[in-house]
Amino acid sequence: MKIVFKIWRQVNSKSQGGFETYEVDGLTEDMSFLEALDYLNERLVQRNEKVIAYEYDCREGICGQCGVFINGRAHGPHDNITTCQLHMRSFKDGETVVVEPWRAAAFPVIKDLVVDRSAFDRIIEQGGYISARTGTAAEANAILVGKEVVDRAMDAAACIGCGACVATCKNASAALFTAAKINHLNSLPQGKPEASNRVLEMTRQMELEGFGSCTFTGACEVECPEEIPMINIAEMNARRVKAKWLGK
Amino acid sequence: MLNSKIPEGPLENKWSSYQTKSQLINPANKKKLNVIVVGSGLAGAGAAATLAELGYDVTCFCYQDSARRAHSVAAQGGINAAKNYQHDGDSVWRMFHDTLKGGDFRSREANVYRLAELSAPLIDHYVQQGVPFAREYGGVLANRSFGGVQVQRTFYARGQTGQQLLLAAYSQLYKMKRAQKVAMFPRHEMLDLVVIDGKAKGIIARDLITGQLKRFAADSVVLATGGYSRVFRLSTLAIGCNGSAIWKAHKRGAYFAAPSFTQVHPTALPQTSEAQSKLTLMSESLRNDGRIWVPKKKDDDRRANAIPEEERDYYLERRYPSFGNLAPRDIASRAAKERIDAGYGVGPFKNAVYLDFKHAVERFGIQTIQDRYGNLFKMYKKITGVDAYQEPMQISPAAHFSMGGLWVDYELMTTIPGLYAIGECNFSDHGANRLGANSLLQASIDGYFVLPNTINNYLADELKEDHPTTDHPEFDKAQKEVEQQITKLLTVRGDKTVDHFHRELGKVMWQECAMSRNKEGLGNAISKIKEIRDAFWNEVNVTGGQQEMNTELEKALRLADFLELGLLMCTDAFQREESCGAHFREEYQTDEGEAMRNDKTHAYVSAWAYDNGNFQLHKEPLVFENVQPTVRSYK
Amino acid sequence: MFLRKTIIALTGLFLCIFLIVHLSANSILVLPEEMARGLYNSYSTTLRESPLIKIVAYVLYLSIVLHVIYALLIVLNNRKAKSKRYLLNRNRENSSWTSQNMGLLGIMILLFIVVHLANFWARIKLGLGENVALDANGHVDVYEVTYSLFRNIYYVVFYTILMIPLGLHLNHGLKSAFKTLGFYHKKGLRVLAKISLVYAAVMAVGFGLIPFIVFLK
Repeated sequence: MKIVFKIWRQVNSKSQGGFETYEVDGLTEDMSFLEALDYLNERLVQRNEKVIAYEYDCREGICGQCGVFINGRAHGPHDNITTCQLHMRSFKDGETVVVEPWRAAAFPVIKDLVVDRSAFDRIIEQGGYISARTGTAAEANAILVGKEVVDRAMDAAACIGCGACVATCKNASAALFTAAKINHLNSLPQGKPEASNRVLEMTRQMELEGFGSCTFTGACEVECPEEIPMINIAEMNARRVKAKWLGK
Repeated sequence: MLNSKIPEGPLENKWSSYQTKSQLINPANKKKLNVIVVGSGLAGAGAAATLAELGYDVTCFCYQDSARRAHSVAAQGGINAAKNYQHDGDSVWRMFHDTLKGGDFRSREANVYRLAELSAPLIDHYVQQGVPFAREYGGVLANRSFGGVQVQRTFYARGQTGQQLLLAAYSQLYKMKRAQKVAMFPRHEMLDLVVIDGKAKGIIARDLITGQLKRFAADSVVLATGGYSRVFRLSTLAIGCNGSAIWKAHKRGAYFAAPSFTQVHPTALPQTSEAQSKLTLMSESLRNDGRIWVPKKKDDDRRANAIPEEERDYYLERRYPSFGNLAPRDIASRAAKERIDAGYGVGPFKNAVYLDFKHAVERFGIQTIQDRYGNLFKMYKKITGVDAYQEPMQISPAAHFSMGGLWVDYELMTTIPGLYAIGECNFSDHGANRLGANSLLQASIDGYFVLPNTINNYLADELKEDHPTTDHPEFDKAQKEVEQQITKLLTVRGDKTVDHFHRELGKVMWQECAMSRNKEGLGNAISKIKEIRDAFWNEVNVTGGQQEMNTELEKALRLADFLELGLLMCTDAFQREESCGAHFREEYQTDEGEAMRNDKTHAYVSAWAYDNGNFQLHKEPLVFENVQPTVRSYK
Repeated sequence: MFLRKTIIALTGLFLCIFLIVHLSANSILVLPEEMARGLYNSYSTTLRESPLIKIVAYVLYLSIVLHVIYALLIVLNNRKAKSKRYLLNRNRENSSWTSQNMGLLGIMILLFIVVHLANFWARIKLGLGENVALDANGHVDVYEVTYSLFRNIYYVVFYTILMIPLGLHLNHGLKSAFKTLGFYHKKGLRVLAKISLVYAAVMAVGFGLIPFIVFLK
């Protein structure tokens, strides 16, 4: 099949970028989207051109490193998948496919389709952990945790940190990402002792990083590869109100 | 020559007696000692965080954009621990025995015992770190069974166990970064090891954003860079996984042990096109409830559901009645290959077998199956468009795990003093085959519990030495060599892509050095790889420059090392004239096609020294004092 | 940002309650002419003379002002967070148009409020424009102001059409306000979504129909 790619090219973080058009013939429907870009890159090398930079690692939907805006949607035209799970059978022969990097002030473009998501790491750094040292743990079954509690914690913990929520949000809000980690840890007994500080410090960092605020458009939960629901944001708000106004 | 430093005394006491005798460092002195950790997966992040908690000054590197991406994230099924929560007769001894037997008696007793011994506290640790392991309604931890074992000792967090453990390790790492005990360098790739006066004292790393080469000096270097099965190109590994760091260490003097021991996973998705870059893994845990079969008739073109029960060959249940679908990975993979090669494969390329949940759904109901494997079924549907609740999955073997790696002693130190290798990049506990759900375990135990309690034994003496600085001539030398290699790659300006050569290498490796090997094939492979290597250096085209983000250059640098590593793997497989675990030499098999091990002549670990492009074999004899090696039968 | 969002939510909820009261009062207008005039005028006189309502009125003005100012601040900040836009954005596939355009809807409502205040509040409270007569009971004849305004078909159309953005804004705003304040009960939110829809529809249709009915009298 043939695809006309319209791809954002940008030399580095300081330069101005722009769209380039590439006609690619010889693709097959079984190729993943990233394999189609690989294929294009091989053609570019043969033409002695610089390859397009884009990110990926595991290519099985769990590492969260891949992620581009494809034809107006984060991770492409389907709901709840990663870019690496998108296949060319989702496009029509001859179709023009627009590929853009994640757009958010907190995710500056590094090169072409590669953005800097280290803001997420810095949010985690502000309390997305349990401060217990290796070697200090009690017997694992000493604290019982109900199945429902742990299942809900797991629902939130499933976040892969890909940034699609931010990319799709018209406000570039990182509320879903931040809420997922807060709700995962704060709902477990092991996370309770630091629950208040965690929610206050992580949300503060989220704002310092320059993410926008949540206006509940719901786009994030549609694009989230792990289907983390937006209700997590409301839960985070509740936890924040509790920590801030109702004492620790 | 090779001193494995196994402590004296009975097996059960070796680790504790080691700890009582090893040298300690007082807390005030620890902060004067810098440790470099390369890699931030379970082993690397666990080690970096724990070393930082102990007070060392830690610098940690990863090539990804964040430590959270490391490929530990992809382990789905679970992590083993001898907790005996199921009251089914499990114990440290049994786990030790299972692991040793699973590895076909090609690993050290003392190491394996320590792995089993520390498994239970590791679960405690992860629960404390907030890992949402599956639980029963009563609130206690749940377990499931896994290949190669008859007890239930696997702990899991849905199909995302690796991800949840890695996120715990990553968050602990960033906790220590916040405490300013860890300096984190993501998007940095180690390109060489710096050895000063015979000791590992630093690394050269490339900043993948700017292309700048940077020098880092330390009192000790820990490699935690994972597996190298991307040498096959098509594998279950992440695309960026590579063997460069350990290969560079090997070239600087670290012995490489059992390089050819590669595990092929039986339940990956089959290849569907030439352009394919990756074989997606479906968790082995699916084999708990799924039944594997092929049609009894060759080239049966009927749809799976149209083939009646009596015309299905449940070949694992037939050949291995006591373990059935839970036979260990090497055996399950080989059995699949046997059926596919014999012409019973299914799917458009006849390269797959069925994994069927029909009976499980009938027996437990769709809800239970959804609870257990929901996300895996969802993933399967995303990739293939097929609903596995209705139709069986199609699966196929794929290169998955490197049992081989840098040779390490009981302290996890390589043959270069001060250089440690932890996690998948070393050869330690898995022998010739790894049991399912033991990889997360080994990586974590190495990183959290072993290394932080052995590195002090070396660093205590380093306190008295001068701390290395990056203006030492050895740094100049190493950096110059890296620069030369990069310049060479960028100036070939041939007409073929890096991926072209990687595909070539992968085909040879998969054909001759994967599930089944023979002398002639390995001999041919060695000469073919040499040809590919020479062609690569003469015909490759790497566009772009050095002083910029250049993903093509990154790939080329990794492939350059794979081309050399592939040679060593074939050389190793060539010299081991027996079949053991994942290493199946066609010349050494029983009439029924089972592996024939030779303990009289081959009860050793092959450890290769690098010598100017040649490899010299050293042997570490394996002594079994507590377990008598038996024929590994799962029948 | 959380404080700003909280203020928007709280003021928004207060305005939602106010609209219920406002609509109940407006519904007097659909009664037969004489009954409507008497009731409406006495009602509005009561409102103007009650000290309690005076306080409420100030809270109301403040709510509108705060709601607008903080929304503006949030929008500006959110625009900064998303400084570069996509060339192609199919956000209609993952979210409603309303949720993507609350700011635009808000501006339309603000425009309406300005005209509405000029039509009524400015004349009756500030005494601007043509003098307003008294009715038979000696109350200010607010009914007459309304009645004569809605003789004009342009006003009727304006008042009716701008109830569409109001309804949309309310539908998204009501449920979002609860989430912003931390209401996260799963079933509760589903009920809330339905309530928001019904509430928004009643408000939009109610406010929108009344000018027409008055016009047709």
